[in-house]
This record gives sequence, C-alpha cells and structure tokens, in this order.
Amino acid sequence: MLSFIGRSIIQKIVTLFFVSVVSFLIIHLAPGKPSQIDPLNPKFTPEILERFRQEFHLDKPLYVQYLLFYKGLFTGETVSWKDNQSVLKKIWERFLNSLPLFIVGTILTWTLSFPVGIRSAIFRGGFYDRSATFISYLLISVPGFFVAYILIILVVTQLHVPVFGMETFGLQMASWPTKLMDRVWHLLLPSVLGATGGIAVLSRYVRSQMLEVEGQDYVRTAKAKGLPPDQVHYKHALRNALLPFVTMFGLILPGLIGGSVIIESIFAWPGMGRMAYEAILARDYPVILTVNFISAVLVLAGTFVSDLLYLVVDPRIRL
Amino acid sequence: METPLLSVQDLRVNFIGDNTVARAVDGVSFDIFPGETVCLVGESGCGKTVSALTILGLVPMPPGKVMGGKILFEGSNLLEQGEEEMQKIRGNRIAMVFQEPLTSLNPVFTIGDQIEEAIKVHEDIEPEILRQRSIQILKDVGIPSAETRLRDYPHQLSGGQRQRVLIAMALSCCPDLVIADEPTTALDVTIQAQILSLFESLQKNWSMSALYITHDLGVVANIADRVYVMYAGSIAEQGNTLQIFNEPRHPYTQGLLASLPSRSKRGKRLHSIPGAVPNPAHKPRGCPFHPRCQFTVESCRSRFPEVCDYGKGHLSRCPVLYEKQE
Repeated sequence: MLSFIGRSIIQKIVTLFFVSVVSFLIIHLAPGKPSQIDPLNPKFTPEILERFRQEFHLDKPLYVQYLLFYKGLFTGETVSWKDNQSVLKKIWERFLNSLPLFIVGTILTWTLSFPVGIRSAIFRGGFYDRSATFISYLLISVPGFFVAYILIILVVTQLHVPVFGMETFGLQMASWPTKLMDRVWHLLLPSVLGATGGIAVLSRYVRSQMLEVEGQDYVRTAKAKGLPPDQVHYKHALRNALLPFVTMFGLILPGLIGGSVIIESIFAWPGMGRMAYEAILARDYPVILTVNFISAVLVLAGTFVSDLLYLVVDPRIRL
Repeated sequence: METPLLSVQDLRVNFIGDNTVARAVDGVSFDIFPGETVCLVGESGCGKTVSALTILGLVPMPPGKVMGGKILFEGSNLLEQGEEEMQKIRGNRIAMVFQEPLTSLNPVFTIGDQIEEAIKVHEDIEPEILRQRSIQILKDVGIPSAETRLRDYPHQLSGGQRQRVLIAMALSCCPDLVIADEPTTALDVTIQAQILSLFESLQKNWSMSALYITHDLGVVANIADRVYVMYAGSIAEQGNTLQIFNEPRHPYTQGLLASLPSRSKRGKRLHSIPGAVPNPAHKPRGCPFHPRCQFTVESCRSRFPEVCDYGKGHLSRCPVLYEKQE
C-alpha cells in the first residue's frame, strides 16, 4: 500500500517533468513571438523590443529560459508579461471566480446524469428511455452557444433575471440577501448550461454501463434468489456499474482550472478559461505555462485519487 | 399415482428478433415428482436452459415471449403469477444453480453477504442466527474454515469453491425443487465429480426434487431417476434412466449414446451424429431431427412426429422406429 503510494508519486513526478518540457517546447515552437504581438504599434521601437527581450530572458538559449521559468514558478516570482502582475495571484483570483461555476456545474452533472441513465437502462426501450435518448442526442449535437442564446432570450424576457457577469453592477450598497440572490441568479444560467452537455454525455455512459451490467450472470443470480427488483438493480447491478465512473470522477479535477471558454465568454464571466484564452492570444508565456502546469498536476492528482478510490470500491484490486 | 411437484405442459417460448422469430422452446412437457431427480439432456442450443429459466420467470422479456403452455407448481400456474408472487417462489421454493460459477457471483460483495441475503429475503431471522446458518451451510457444501471464508470475495475462491457457494446459496432456504443448469460444465473433471456427489447427497438428505440440465450422459447415468432427451426445442424421448440407456427408442438418443466414449470402443473412431442442431429461427419442417437421421422416411419431412408409448412411462417421438418394432 505505502509502496504503491510512493511508487505512484515518483512516477507522477517524472511524468510531470516531461509534461513541463514538452509544453515549454510547444509554446516556444508555436508561431508568433511575444515581442511581435503588435508590430505596428509605434511605441514598440527596436530599442524597446530589445529591452523587452532582455528583461524576459528571450535572448537566452531555450534551456536557460526553461530553468529560469520553472525556478520562477516554484519561488512564486513569475509575472505576467502583459501587466507585470504575479501569475499565481492572477490565477488564484480567476480560480475563485470559476470555482462556484465549477462546483454547481459538477454537482448538477453528477447528480442528474445517474438517475437519468439508470432509469433509461432499467426501462430500456420504453417511453422514458426513448425521450431521454432523443433529448441527450439533441443536446450533444446542438452547439452549446446556440442553446445558451435560446436560454438567455427565454430567461431574460420571461423571468427578467440578470444573466451576464458575476453580479449586477451597482448593487454594492444593497443588503446581503439581495446581493446573495443576485449572485445566485447570475450563477444559475452559466452553470446549468455548463452542465447540460455533461449530463447528456454522462447519462449515456451510465445507461450503457448499467445495461452491460444488467446482462451479467450475477444479476440473474440475484433475481433467482428472489430479491425484489430494487435490490437487484440498485444493489447488485448499480454497484458494479459505478466502478468505471471512479476513473471519470478522478478526471473532473482538471476541470477546476480548465474552466469553459465558451460559457465564460458568452456570459462575460471573468473565469480561468477566459484568462487562459486571452493569455494565448497575447503570447503571455508565463500565464499559459503556469495554467498548463497546474492542470497537469491536477490531472495526475486526479488519477492518483481515482486509483486510491478503486482500492476502496473494488475488492478485486489489492496492492 | 402421486401428483407431480412441477409439471411443465406444452411450454412454448419464442425469442423475437428484428425480423426473425426463434422458437427456442417449442412444446416441451415434463413432470418432476417429489424427491425425484430428473435430467434434461440435449446438445447446446436445444432449449434446455431457456426451459429452466422460464420456470423461474428469468427469461428476459423482450426479446423472449412465452407463447403458450403451463408451468404448474403444486397446482398453480407459475406463468400466471405476478412478479411479487414469483419473488416468493424464487430461491425459497424453487432455487437455481447456474452454469458459470465464475461469473454468477457478484464480484463486489462478500460471499457471506450473498448467502445471507438469499436467506434474509425470505425469512425474518435474527442476525446472529442468520450468521450461524450461513456458516453451517458453507460447511455443508464442504468449504473449510467457513467462518473466515464468509468474509472472502468471490475472486478469492477457486472455481470449484465458487460452485459450492452457489449451491449453498441455492439450498440455503431448503427449496422444494433445485434446478441445476449444467453446474459442472465449467469445472475440472475431478472437481466435477466432487460437486456432483455433493449435490446428490445434499439433495437426497434434504429430500429435494432436482431438475438437472446437462449435455453429459455420464452425469445422467450417475444421478438421474428419469430422463428427458430434448432436441431442437421439444422432447424427443423420455423414460427412466434404464429405459433410456438400455433401450433408446429415438434415433437421436441412440446417436447420443453411440457417441459416448467407452472401454469397448477403445481405439476406434467415436461415433458422431452428422450435421448440427438446427438454428431455432429456421427449424426444418416435420421432425426437427430428420436432416440428421438415418431412418428418415417421407412422412418425417412433412409431419411433426407423434408420441409413441412403449409403456412404463417410456415415450418417444419417432413413429418410424415404433413401426419397425412392431
């Protein structure tokens, strides 16, 4: 057990090193340079460009740049090239903005997909299953931004609820229940929209997984014992059907930092996804690389957590 | 004459596909009397398992569909029982041991859980007594150190032990009838013999009736009181074990017996019945066996054969051999 944890951590550190090298190289290989972002801007004289290159070590060999960058990252000194702010601080602020969206979206996705998928599987071929299948494929095939605009029109015209941004401007003086409700209303639409795609896909997975398990011999054994259908489905079948989702559950962690560029852009939500997107446009290497590095850490941490969870839920796995 | 415990009468089960209808069970009738061991013999795909599953209402529907017939258990028709009545019968009055011990136990629950659950669902029982009974039944099926084994998961047991656990589970409520669907097929030969004798002794000790489904005539000779030979969804021949083995009256039974390896046939090529079991969706007209039969006459191709009575419960569906006999 302890040796598994030790081995796994060492493996993940090695992986992380390679990720850092490869992502660093890819960013530097990509066309465009930070110094050429705005060549027509008269303020960017050759002298200033040269100073800029020196200041950010862009004139040094790549491996020196690599070492300098990751030294900066671990000492927390990295700054954004765009506005000279600390990268970690920038990310943290955006992270706090994205967090409520992520939490509500994830909870909605995981609590709704399972009942929908399980019910579809149990009543396979019935009216419920057919409608759920139809709606899922509809939501999967219609682009998210399109659904978003329809929902925005509906919500704004019918319910008169604010939808853009994180809060309504000018409410700073209002009482806290008003402010709270305002935040909740703002949160509602983007998180529901963020969840719909997830629900559509995940409920399909749940359904097919559940169907596969329902066909297993041990489910028939359970029925042959005379167990009522609830116990057959929700104890014997479901427990086995859930196993593969442990892996998926471990992989939702990276969603914490990825955010959703499209949803955040539509709703003018100042979150992580938009920040990363803007950093890419601005060739703001430190921000891009830091976001990349943190999400790599989260992916590895997620797989580690799901490995440990498997130990708990699947008795066949022993270390 | 005593009344049968279970009487299956002209049972018909179809599997309905997109554009095919497979008549898996096509007019099967058999009786099981109290305390008796009845064997249902036949090649793979002849409808043995489907017949057994239908008794307990375990055939997935759809695609399965019962087209007709009766399954009388102590006089009441199981096909007309509601789901809740069937739950009281499954495991409690009629239990089943399955073919695949490796996949028939749930991998994520301990065997103790799975045995106790089988008892708990039918009986109101104190946890402590429940535990004692599970331990006792595991001992009865010959699992050593049963107390600690209860906490094991299925993957920690060998194939033979898992089959013992499945038998323990089936017998845990002392059912009147046990249906065993090829319980030894997936096991080593040495283990097969152990499981078979265990099954037989438990069944006799607890005076249960058994329906034993197999394709292994060696097993049949060992344990059966009466035998039903099944071919392509219907019963080809029935009789007591001696009748079937000594005076087989159906070409199919004769073929099966001729294909048995034995010491007298040492060094010779084993007999085999030419051809294969017909696809249940495309059965030949007339006698389903006629394409593979050496006695085929014109009427075999057009008419489903009548039952011919040889007396003392020995029946066969081959009028051709019956006429030759006379």
